[in-house]
Amino acid sequence: MNPGKFFIILPLAFTGLLLASCATYYQKHYDFNSEFEKGDLPKALETLQQKESLANSKSKFLYFVNNGLLLSLLGKYEESNAFLEKAFMFGEDYQINYFHEAAGYFTNPNMAVYKGEDHEHLMLLYFKTINFLKMNMPEEALVECRRLNIRLNQLSDKYHTVNKYRRDAFIHNLMGIIYQSTNDYNNAFIAYRNAWEIYEQDYSSLFALHAPDQLRKDLLNTAWWTGFTEEFYHYREKFNMPEYVPVKPEAELVFFWHNGLSPVKNELSINFLIDHRSENMVVFTNEQLGIAFPFAIEEKKERSDLQSLDIFRVAFPKYDERPEYFRRGSIELDSISVPLECAEDISKIAVHSLRERMVLEFSKGLLRAALKKATEMSMKKEDEGLAALIGVVNAMTEKADTRNWQTLPHSIYYARAPLKVGANKVIFQIDADHDRARYTFTYQAKKAQTLFHTFSSLETSLGMPYRLY
Amino acid sequence: MCKILIPLMILGLTACQTRHVTRLDPATQIDLSGRWNDSDSRKVADQMIFELFDSDAFKKYAQSKTTKPVVVVGMIRNKTSEHIDPDNFVKKIELVIHNSGVADLVESSEFRDQLRVERTEQQDFSDPSTVKRMGMETGADLMLFGEMTSETDTFNNRRVVNYITTLFLTDIETNKRVWYGQNEIKKYMKN
Repeated sequence: MNPGKFFIILPLAFTGLLLASCATYYQKHYDFNSEFEKGDLPKALETLQQKESLANSKSKFLYFVNNGLLLSLLGKYEESNAFLEKAFMFGEDYQINYFHEAAGYFTNPNMAVYKGEDHEHLMLLYFKTINFLKMNMPEEALVECRRLNIRLNQLSDKYHTVNKYRRDAFIHNLMGIIYQSTNDYNNAFIAYRNAWEIYEQDYSSLFALHAPDQLRKDLLNTAWWTGFTEEFYHYREKFNMPEYVPVKPEAELVFFWHNGLSPVKNELSINFLIDHRSENMVVFTNEQLGIAFPFAIEEKKERSDLQSLDIFRVAFPKYDERPEYFRRGSIELDSISVPLECAEDISKIAVHSLRERMVLEFSKGLLRAALKKATEMSMKKEDEGLAALIGVVNAMTEKADTRNWQTLPHSIYYARAPLKVGANKVIFQIDADHDRARYTFTYQAKKAQTLFHTFSSLETSLGMPYRLY
Repeated sequence: MCKILIPLMILGLTACQTRHVTRLDPATQIDLSGRWNDSDSRKVADQMIFELFDSDAFKKYAQSKTTKPVVVVGMIRNKTSEHIDPDNFVKKIELVIHNSGVADLVESSEFRDQLRVERTEQQDFSDPSTVKRMGMETGADLMLFGEMTSETDTFNNRRVVNYITTLFLTDIETNKRVWYGQNEIKKYMKN
């Protein structure tokens, strides 16, 4: 080997070592994740904030939202919102860096900036809005509401097929709840009506989730209070609630229950065979999984570069779900029991979104593998030693993008309960198959006030840290 | 190898993007998503002001009064599926009414409540020579209110939306409708 080549090989080897870690994003941050899952939130926050360099990394979005969520759980709403605002601004200012994207094709997709999943950008605004409501800042919550509306419009413009997650019923429902809490019944009605349509048209078929009964009541209430009598009677008949009469309680409690934990992205490695049967085409196949991807090959050289490539491994992302431990919940007050209804199944949305773009993920993964292998084969004709090293680096760097917001809940449940002016004792009960937990809260309510409460149960039915699973 | 590295280097050099911001004439019509936007608000305001001032019923009502009619803006109900703030065009209408001198405006209930709180507090805390008197508010003759509706028809990736804005100017004393205006904006969108 001549000395010139040494200077090519050395950085290649170094890059390979740097990128060689086969750990997933979850495993890389296992200390933080295990502390969070155990419910040791102060320690988890400390661990997270020790990694301040993440704020300038390619995964900065996740650093911001994890901080935002943790601080919110710890009741530090202002600090939480500062981080969530950074995450929001990241989403606003995000521009594709083509260099990083290209680097992702030659190494692995972790070289590109993580831009966040669609539902993650909505969820960060959900947490921000709830923080403002808990701080009794309704005007600021309404600003977030308008931002949510813009985000929802962007989402519905992004996709045009009905099978995609392109409309979020829960976020519309949330907007209705916020508008209603500020006595803007007209906008609340619009939001509830949109939410109801999406639950019935999209969520019921995509996620087996129907409109909550509370949403029906809220839709009827706000129609009536806005003076939309025609709409009120129309929906009352549609919902088969002929006796329903809107009643304004002295005050209200809206209780959100964040149940469990969202799925974690993992890696799925698939071995592909190359089929050279066609003249201008090579087909990557995996017969076991029934996958066949054709690639057009125009140049003779490209064809010969891929000729000696018969089998290779490609890594793709996949979700590992963390099923809920608690199955149902309710709140009890003054001998009334109000069930908490599931309004958002984040786990199903995440899995569905990835499944829907899996064709794109396969294409990207195969293109990446093809580029890497073609480079290796091309180099082989010039220098076998260097080509072998490139082959090693290629194999070491082949990995999927396993980044996602892993501290999100599995699902969001909610209930609306009437309160009296003054002190109200409320019991929150959650049930698992063979387990039950009860918590007592006391709320001080003023006339016509809507109070907001969130409760997070981090237990999953895996019953142990995710890594061991 | 060079065939791969050279495009990569070019990409590297072009990777640093800059954001372009351009200031536009607010009257410029730009339609991006096809939803209700500033151009629609402006169109509704311009056309409805013209219809209001040009209506014989309003002219007749104004002439029948010894003083300028006083108008208060009531609720504009939004029955569309979009979160549209009717204030965007109602404030434009108010501005033209105010500047034209054809009618006087009094504050709507939202601001009236704040003024009443301020006036009540003045009674206790302000210099007596500057305290504003209670019971001296100007009562409105007419109330402007209305509603927005939309009809949507979709098929595959095509969508037609018809926005209908209806405004009424009603005599507060007699409930008689003095003026009735309607504006329609129909949009066709194809993805």
